[in-house]
Amino acid sequence: MRVVIAEDAAMMREGLVRLLTDRGFEVCAAVADADALRSAVAATVPDVAVIDIRMPPTHTDEGLRAAIDIRRDQPDVGVLVFSQYVETRYATRLLADRPTGVGYLLKDRVADVADFVDALTRVASGGTALDPEVVGHLMRAGRDTAGLASLTPREREVLSLMAEGRSNAGIAAALVITAGVVEKHVASIFAKLGLPSSDGDNRRVLAVLRHVGGG
Amino acid sequence: MTGDNGPMTALRAPFTTLALRRAVFCVLGVVSAAAILSAPALGPALGVLFLWATGALSDQPAPAVAPVFLFLVPLTVALLVVLAAPIGRAMGAVHRALAGRLLDVHVDAPPPRPSRRLGAVVSDGPGWRAVGYGLLKVPLAIPQGYGAFCYVFGLANLSYPLWWPLFRNHPAGTRLGPVWALTPFGAIGTRTFAGTFLIAAAGLAMLLVAPWLMRAGTTLDVAAMRRLLGPRRLAERVRELQLTRARAIDDAAAMMRRLERDLHDGAQIRLATLALNLGMATEKLGADGPPPDLAQARELVALAHRGAKEALADLRDLVRGIHPPVLDNGLGDALATLATNSAIPVAVTVDLPDRPAPAIETVAYFCASELLANAAKHSRATRIALGVVRSGERLTVTVEDDGVGGADPAGPGLSGLARRIAVVDGRMRVRSPDGGPTRVDIELPTHV
Repeated sequence: MRVVIAEDAAMMREGLVRLLTDRGFEVCAAVADADALRSAVAATVPDVAVIDIRMPPTHTDEGLRAAIDIRRDQPDVGVLVFSQYVETRYATRLLADRPTGVGYLLKDRVADVADFVDALTRVASGGTALDPEVVGHLMRAGRDTAGLASLTPREREVLSLMAEGRSNAGIAAALVITAGVVEKHVASIFAKLGLPSSDGDNRRVLAVLRHVGGG
Repeated sequence: MTGDNGPMTALRAPFTTLALRRAVFCVLGVVSAAAILSAPALGPALGVLFLWATGALSDQPAPAVAPVFLFLVPLTVALLVVLAAPIGRAMGAVHRALAGRLLDVHVDAPPPRPSRRLGAVVSDGPGWRAVGYGLLKVPLAIPQGYGAFCYVFGLANLSYPLWWPLFRNHPAGTRLGPVWALTPFGAIGTRTFAGTFLIAAAGLAMLLVAPWLMRAGTTLDVAAMRRLLGPRRLAERVRELQLTRARAIDDAAAMMRRLERDLHDGAQIRLATLALNLGMATEKLGADGPPPDLAQARELVALAHRGAKEALADLRDLVRGIHPPVLDNGLGDALATLATNSAIPVAVTVDLPDRPAPAIETVAYFCASELLANAAKHSRATRIALGVVRSGERLTVTVEDDGVGGADPAGPGLSGLARRIAVVDGRMRVRSPDGGPTRVDIELPTHV
């Protein structure tokens, strides 16, 4: 799987290159600013780009804007945006068109190598990876309006994991329950929230995010 | 009707209530100017009245009563000096009230006199400024009086054709003296009805000019009032405080931003990388049993170890930048520590009988730190003298080097320093001729 990395802090960039190479990814380019990222993605057309939000020259949201451009111009390239803090607004902007091939994670998540690689693979193959932190914000914001109060604690856990972009199998592994139980929870959640049940993971994420106000 | 559609406004101007109020204000202005002019003569005049009433003036020859005036004149002068400020205050209050009532101009009262003691009464700044206004009132009353004269007599002259048929309806052939009217160009007399229209025309001209004269007179008067009868010093102080407060807020916000940036780009990224390396090392060590890749794991742990130490060093620098812990032991210790970290030898002398307020210590410390850093960067000096002395309620920090000089007080470094100092009412003086040496004195209050 081919990756482009955009991260301005050299040691983090080198760490990522090392990690991803070690895990069998092909790192096409590792760059330090948004312009270099745009040209690297245009030149190499990777499966996925890992993008730091805050980069030179303004150190605000260059990475995010580059990610949105890439999603528009090269829809086949997945983008995994990451930063040291998460902003729900950023997530909303990123997911604005479609919740496919997109991820938004805290930088801390790279410490759990397996989870990070899993998220990156998901995004590269057109899936979604939202940070639990972002999902938590959205869930709290939608607590009163979206009827989340009617869910059981377990159902809320399942909903959060769905919103993060995980598949039924992924949810089952995370909660240490069987896939069948997960399916039952999912059906119950969709019934309680009055959402049309959908098969694909991505359409499911979209429905959930729309419902809690994030998409 | 708006003010700029010319002729109609000019024609209406004399007949507005504002014009009437201005006329009253102007007449009162002339009265008060006359009163102010006659004030110094009040004492001797009372003396004359007294002498005249007792008959002394008609009985005695002039040389006999002259000594009375030799006594009365200095007494009047002394009384004027003592009473000028309080009288000025009272007169100022009256004029502020008149301006408020008649011109809708509100001038705030100056702060009250601190005490009733003679010294405070004589040295009362706002009182004397009010006296200044009183003296200025005399020339100011000239356009005011002229305007009021044109207004009142303009109205009167305009009415002459009305009065003529009422009072001059004598049988034909009766010979009468002329009627007189006052204009700025002298008195006009007429013996005919037609002549009264000439007077009315003069009256109209006067009436049209009057509002502008009165307006000029009152505008100047109001300007003088704002300068001399208002709370000038206090207002200046308020402006100064507003300015420094805005700077303090800006500085605090800038400092928070810098702090966030330092943490984000420093310790936070180091810790994230450290976590990444440890995460990879954990994988290399495997869940249980013999590690699948021990050599790589060792390397990653060593990398993480180094990262942790760097993160600690980063945080230590940051913490020292926020508040150097040694400052808790006093400015002397803190500056001595600061001096030992300087690349150029620094001789420190701190002479403080007791400790200033913590905020002042912090400002003094950061000023010294910034100035030492500046000297190290730009001065090419071989030695620096850093001194702190206390004189009364002020504290002076002096940094002097033997370098090449040419420090620019308007540059970003020194002007930023000056801003921080101004927040606590301090002052900075920079002397740095080209060729050196450079000496910077910073004066701070000991308490905020």
